[in-house]
Amino acid sequence: MNVITVDGLSKTYDQGTTQVNALKDVSFNINQGEFVAVVGASGSGKSTLLHMLGGLDKPSGGYVHIDGEDLYALKEKERAVFRRRKIGFIFQAYNLIPVLNVEENIHLPLLLDHRQPDKAYINDLIHTLGLHERRRHLPSELSGGQQQRVAIGRALAYRPAIVLADEPTGNLDSANGREVIELLKLAVRQYHQTVIVITHDMNIASEADRVLHLQDGKLLNDTQSLGRDL
Amino acid sequence: MRHYGGMAARYLKQQRKRTILTIVGIVLSVALISALGTMGQTLKDNLILNTEYESGSFYFGYEKPTSELYETLSQHLLVDRLGIYRTGEETSLANSLSVQVDAVDPEGFKLLPIHLHEGRLPSAANELAVEQWILDRLPGNPKLGDSVSLNGPEDQPIEYRIVGLLNNEKKSQVEGVSRAYTFGNPADIAIDAKTILFLTLKPGVNISAQIKEFAKLNESLFTNDNLLTLMGESGDNRTNTALALIFGTLIGLVVLSTVAVIYNAFHIAVLERIRQFGLLRTLGASPGQIRNLVFREATVLSAIGVPLGLFIGWYGLEFALWLMTQAGLKIMMMETFRLTFHWWIIAGSFAIGFVAVYLAAWLPARKASSVSPVEAAKGAGSIVRESYRRLRLPSPLGLAGIEGRMAANNIRRNRTKFRITTFSIVISITLFIVFHYFTQQTLNMTTTTNENDRIAFQYSRMVQPDKNGMRPPISEWVPAEWMTQVAAMPGVYGVYSSYYNHLVVPAVVPNEKINPDIAGQTSLQFNPSETERRHRPASEVQSLVILYDDNRLKEAVKYVQSGTADPEALAAEDQVVLIQTIKPHLRNDKKAILPLTRYKVGDKLTLHMNPDDSNAPKLHEVTVAGILTQSPFDATYHESMLTIIVGKATYDKLLADDPEKYFPELYPNVPTGFDVAMADGADPEPVRLKLQEIVRTNPGSRLVDIAENQKETRNFNVQMKIFVYVFLFVIGVIGSLNIINTIQTNLLLRRREIGLLQAVGMTMGQIRRMATAEGLWFGVIGSVWGILLGFGLCYFLYKQISNFQGIPFEFPWGASLIACGTALLVGLFSVQGPLRKMEKANLLERLREEA
Repeated sequence: MNVITVDGLSKTYDQGTTQVNALKDVSFNINQGEFVAVVGASGSGKSTLLHMLGGLDKPSGGYVHIDGEDLYALKEKERAVFRRRKIGFIFQAYNLIPVLNVEENIHLPLLLDHRQPDKAYINDLIHTLGLHERRRHLPSELSGGQQQRVAIGRALAYRPAIVLADEPTGNLDSANGREVIELLKLAVRQYHQTVIVITHDMNIASEADRVLHLQDGKLLNDTQSLGRDL
Repeated sequence: MRHYGGMAARYLKQQRKRTILTIVGIVLSVALISALGTMGQTLKDNLILNTEYESGSFYFGYEKPTSELYETLSQHLLVDRLGIYRTGEETSLANSLSVQVDAVDPEGFKLLPIHLHEGRLPSAANELAVEQWILDRLPGNPKLGDSVSLNGPEDQPIEYRIVGLLNNEKKSQVEGVSRAYTFGNPADIAIDAKTILFLTLKPGVNISAQIKEFAKLNESLFTNDNLLTLMGESGDNRTNTALALIFGTLIGLVVLSTVAVIYNAFHIAVLERIRQFGLLRTLGASPGQIRNLVFREATVLSAIGVPLGLFIGWYGLEFALWLMTQAGLKIMMMETFRLTFHWWIIAGSFAIGFVAVYLAAWLPARKASSVSPVEAAKGAGSIVRESYRRLRLPSPLGLAGIEGRMAANNIRRNRTKFRITTFSIVISITLFIVFHYFTQQTLNMTTTTNENDRIAFQYSRMVQPDKNGMRPPISEWVPAEWMTQVAAMPGVYGVYSSYYNHLVVPAVVPNEKINPDIAGQTSLQFNPSETERRHRPASEVQSLVILYDDNRLKEAVKYVQSGTADPEALAAEDQVVLIQTIKPHLRNDKKAILPLTRYKVGDKLTLHMNPDDSNAPKLHEVTVAGILTQSPFDATYHESMLTIIVGKATYDKLLADDPEKYFPELYPNVPTGFDVAMADGADPEPVRLKLQEIVRTNPGSRLVDIAENQKETRNFNVQMKIFVYVFLFVIGVIGSLNIINTIQTNLLLRRREIGLLQAVGMTMGQIRRMATAEGLWFGVIGSVWGILLGFGLCYFLYKQISNFQGIPFEFPWGASLIACGTALLVGLFSVQGPLRKMEKANLLERLREEA
């Protein structure tokens, strides 16, 4: 079942007198429960694609449907609510709220929706992420790997349809990076979520179900991962 | 945390320093507005009380009422109090003195400026209150409680019991007619041409509008203008509008500065965190939720800051007053010097504080909610794009090396921050300049002070010839030792000779020396002079030539505008001191203070000593040794004449010009009396007894005893001055704290950036120089704009004040320089504290700090 449909997506930025085409007519579908890697050189449009999928930025043309909803037909506020409920973000720089502790950072998307967290699920999540002993700590008291695990917890707290991760291991050593990828894979397996990861790391790409290769804003190829092929 | 809104409190708690800085900003502003409100209101209350004391508390009255009018008024719904005064009979006493007994009803006693010194006011038709000074001249030399027989209607004597003594009035003593009041029963007092009615209206009634209606009842209506003007209820709408504009400007300025300071503190605190708001957007927070978060912070901050500000505003003022008392400004009447508590000021400051915080939060909240989540998601660093502006003109700071260039760039880098920081400083300086101007003008208008304020007794003597037509020479009338003895008494500030007569002669003034505004604005006209020998057109300007003894000249030194008033300098022949500023009536019915002529020190001034004889004019040339701003004694300004002060040497020479006209009996050059000035708070009783003794033992003596009034006037003047200085002190302190807070906030919020500069090799010394240059430069820019804005507003206020009294516009340069100098010093020193802290803090920690 298609959870994401991207059709003819393009994005053009004005930079002074010149125009930069960050994305050019990109189209693809992603099924629920897929673990997708987006690869490409710097400036190939990976982050722009991720922002479009997450409803953070408006495309210049084309459509993005998530769970059957035309993302950019929604109003600003509706899109914020949609993002809160359907999309989880993980950033390279973790981007945790420094004044909230681990548990509160994970709860945050639910609190923004005026909902009380499902304690059993959040507990399970915190245990799965290995953060149960750190649940009352502030982000500044955690290591980079731990902070990224909190970010994963926050992204999964609302059980979103899709999780978008922008270089989630970029700031981590290989052991911690490995751990993060395992957790994301676990999310796919355990909670049947769709995960899209932007990465430079071909090892991570090799673990994905699919790899979307971008070059100069175009989708160069859409392949089943090597790991899967083998 | 059960609600996302809990994040606001978390932020405030975790970012303790920022929170404290913001709260300090709010506290200062609310303290400023409540302190100024309290001071302003207390000032007004004080002025009204003083005016009620001097002119009575009635709003208006009728000079020629009828009994029908009285009936109408006593039943009128809008009338609150109605007092009756009826002129009575006069009884002649010895020494050409007299006493006049007027009848006043109980309400009249409350509404008129009748001030009891001792005893009580009359409450029956046979009771009397008289002025103190006349008591021992009344028939039978009665005391308080004794009876006295005075003329009644149709020459029937009436026996009165003296139940009260009134404060001495200068006017009645000079005229020799004492005021005395008996009880007038409103039920049977006659309402006729001798009667005057006084009244007030019920609270809440629009007085100025109603006066027109009441004038229709009887055309003899007159108003208590001084009081009504202060109450903003003058019949002259121009006055009311001018008052509203003046106070509107002042209040507006204070409110603006309050909003500016709070906005400044809050805006910076939000801007610095804007990236975090952007992150919340990526997590699905709606713009409304972000705004909500900012407003929650605003609520918490104002809930702490506003009440604290009110508290500090009130007790800060109390403290300032206490400090000034300790500094030696304690005066006798200090116990009556109380701040008046007004709920509307507290409530108004409270409301303004909250509104200012929300207003200050509104723009940053909008900015935070509209921040692009993409930019926030992109990673670390400020997502507020700093609009770097290349300076078109090289900044003078560039001369201070790399540190100066860095400072210049830092200052201009973020336009918003630059504007709010500068604005904050500008408003502090402007506030000081404008309030300095306003308070000084108020002081000048309400307390026209000169040395006369201190004069409590005026003694004079005119010895009449005896049966044989003999009398002692004038030089023996007032022996010098009397003055020496009185001067040596405790509490005496000074004793000044007074002379029987002044010379009034025309001065021959070349037309170009006459201020053209005189012809333009007033109806004063001068006869052309036919005596001028140099064929220049000249006019005869009437001049008052007054002889001052050395003691008076020493006091005159305080009023020197240029040149000198030193007695030794004036001992030389033909040296004079000139007062060329006058206060004439303008054509528009207002009074104005204007220079009549434009003489300078060293100029020659020609006096026409025999104006009656134009065939053989006797001209006497004198030299202007000094120019005074106003008259040190008597009326501060003459209405139309030049005032020329001379020492004895010059005076004698002038008299010698026409010995026939200026003969010694009419123009004695020896004292025929003296004035006694008392020190503030001194007890005048021993001096009074001494002078009364002189009066008793020396025929022809006359004593004007105004010690009571003098003390009250003087106290009022001193109180007004204290008010003004406390006022300015409070503004100065709060303005300085505001500048400190602004500059320090600006610097503290750049800790990470300064850490980075250090990391790339800038030494702490260089950073210190950079930050110092920034602080100084903010002071310079703030000063320039502050003076410009201050000048504009002062001029605007001047235009409004001119509606009450014409005054020359004098920009308070001194105050401006003080304000700017303080701003520079404050700018310089306020960067030092945060820098020292940064020096001690760990560089790595600062680098790790969230931007």
